[in-house]
Amino acid sequence: MKRLVYYLQRDLTRWLRRKIAVISALITPAAWLIFVGLTLPTTFTDNYLDFITPGILVMSMLGTSLQGGSLLMFDKILGFLNKFLALPAPRETILFGKILFITIRGLIQTTVILILAFLLGASMYDPLTLMATYIILFLFGVLFSSLSTTLALQLDDHDSYAAVNAMVSMPLFFTSTALMPYNVMPAWLRVIAHLNPVSYAIDAIRMLGTDIIPWANLLGLAVAAVIVLLICIRRFRRVTV
Amino acid sequence: MNVIETDNLTKYYDRLCAVDAISLSVGHEIFGLLGPNGSGKTTTMRMLTTLLRPDAGDAWISGHHVVNEAREVRNRLSYVPQEMAVDINLTGRENVALFAHLYGVENVKDRVDEMLGLMLLSQRADDLVKTYSGGMRRRLELAQALVHEPEVLFLDEPTIGLDVAARKNIWEHITALRDKGMTIFVNTHYMDEADRACDRVGIIDRGRLIAVDTPGNLKDRIQDDVITVRVSGKFDGRIDADVRYMGQVDDELMFTAGKGSEAVPRLAEALTGKGMKVHAISVREATLDDVFLRLVTSKTDEEGRFDGHGFRLMLRRR
Ligand SMILES: Nc1ncnc2c1ncn2[C@@H]1O[C@H](COP(=O)(O)OP(=O)(O)OP(=O)(O)O)[C@@H](O)[C@H]1O
Ligand SMILES: [Mg+2]
Repeated sequence: MKRLVYYLQRDLTRWLRRKIAVISALITPAAWLIFVGLTLPTTFTDNYLDFITPGILVMSMLGTSLQGGSLLMFDKILGFLNKFLALPAPRETILFGKILFITIRGLIQTTVILILAFLLGASMYDPLTLMATYIILFLFGVLFSSLSTTLALQLDDHDSYAAVNAMVSMPLFFTSTALMPYNVMPAWLRVIAHLNPVSYAIDAIRMLGTDIIPWANLLGLAVAAVIVLLICIRRFRRVTV
Repeated sequence: MNVIETDNLTKYYDRLCAVDAISLSVGHEIFGLLGPNGSGKTTTMRMLTTLLRPDAGDAWISGHHVVNEAREVRNRLSYVPQEMAVDINLTGRENVALFAHLYGVENVKDRVDEMLGLMLLSQRADDLVKTYSGGMRRRLELAQALVHEPEVLFLDEPTIGLDVAARKNIWEHITALRDKGMTIFVNTHYMDEADRACDRVGIIDRGRLIAVDTPGNLKDRIQDDVITVRVSGKFDGRIDADVRYMGQVDDELMFTAGKGSEAVPRLAEALTGKGMKVHAISVREATLDDVFLRLVTSKTDEEGRFDGHGFRLMLRRR
């Protein structure tokens, strides 16, 4: 457990020292919030910012989690993983450290977005809503960082990894409820959106805004996160015998 | 049981046999595994460090089996891979402290200071590693590896890409560690370094261990000296002197002789007598390089005879 923290600290320090990476990670979602939230003409709601904020939160979590797999991939390519695997500490700690780091980094990004959204005029979340939002984002982050890490373990070169990511992330975002609610979608899109895990997370955060606790979505995300995490652990064990 | 023991250790990559039934016993010493690119050095080391599972055979580190007691084995060793893997955006101190924490070392701060001092990095300990030279990075990796006082140290090509002074420096550190009682297993393809620093070497070729001995004993296997003569004029291959003609590379003729320096005057006379002009003569003892190439080439030769063509190739390489 202590060792998990040291792995986490290593990644966090390395990230924070790359100023450009940090700035870009914080600015990009903020730009989305401003350009999409404030400029898109909409008819189905009078406060689009309130509507879009959960979408942008989940989108940045999705983006950063999907990218995160490259961390383990580079550790593997550059020889760090071999050094870590030769340590007496339980090997899975390496994996848990990565997934936790990717998720925490995502939570830092989403915090910045939340603050910005409130400043721009979105309705404030009460403490309970805020906490539940973080839980949803956390589960969602674990789900997709486990997924991307599994992918990174499966593929050997960064180019194919990046290609798969690009192929996956755009459709996931645009076929979700991020930009519009189900009732204004074309029928075919509505079907896909209902199946899309990205919608689960976004809907859950929106439900919190209407004082409903989204138990089903929470449970669904938790189960999915655990399943993908288990697959990831299995894959990790296989790769590292 | 010795510190490192292997018994028919074998690894396949698909159908390629990367390590072929290696049996080895290494005690408190610097043991060098020598071989050309792709001969299976790294694969062997990764099996010994529990990073790869052998397909057949066994290996033990300090009496613990590398597969069945992997955790015990990892507690006793440190591994510095071929790639130089240090975090360049962390300071030297942070890099070592990370490993101290991961190993669960007590008194992390003191131990880190001590290791940085030992590797002569104290002055630069708080600079980012991206400002370090290659030699400093290698020493930093050694500091990381030594922080938990391992019994066995595995180094894969520890001097690759370093300049002469930095190499010498690394070997001095390795020797000092051996003197303190550590067992060191080194992969390298620099024969001259192995010759100077290793207590024993194993020569590996295409996955097979073809010789294990001290560098001195191995060199004694080639008793002849090598004589190189730079001449102008055409040489017909016949010579009336107590030497063996090995071949010609550009304007240099190669001979071998039992006692090289004594054969030189006769050789020079004979060549001049044939109407050639002798510009320079050098005599050297056989090196580990020669041994290596002799062993590898004679293995490829089916009856294990001396293979003249291979030997000429070897001479040309120098
Ligand atoms: N992951 C792998 N998959 C398939 N083949 C591999 C793999 N790793 C190594 N090999 C092959 O196994 C053989 C031995 O490789 P190894 O890396 O052990 O050699 P080496 O002696 O360390 O070489 P070098 O001096 O270049 O580091 C080579 O033919 C190599 O191509
Ligand atoms: Mg190698």
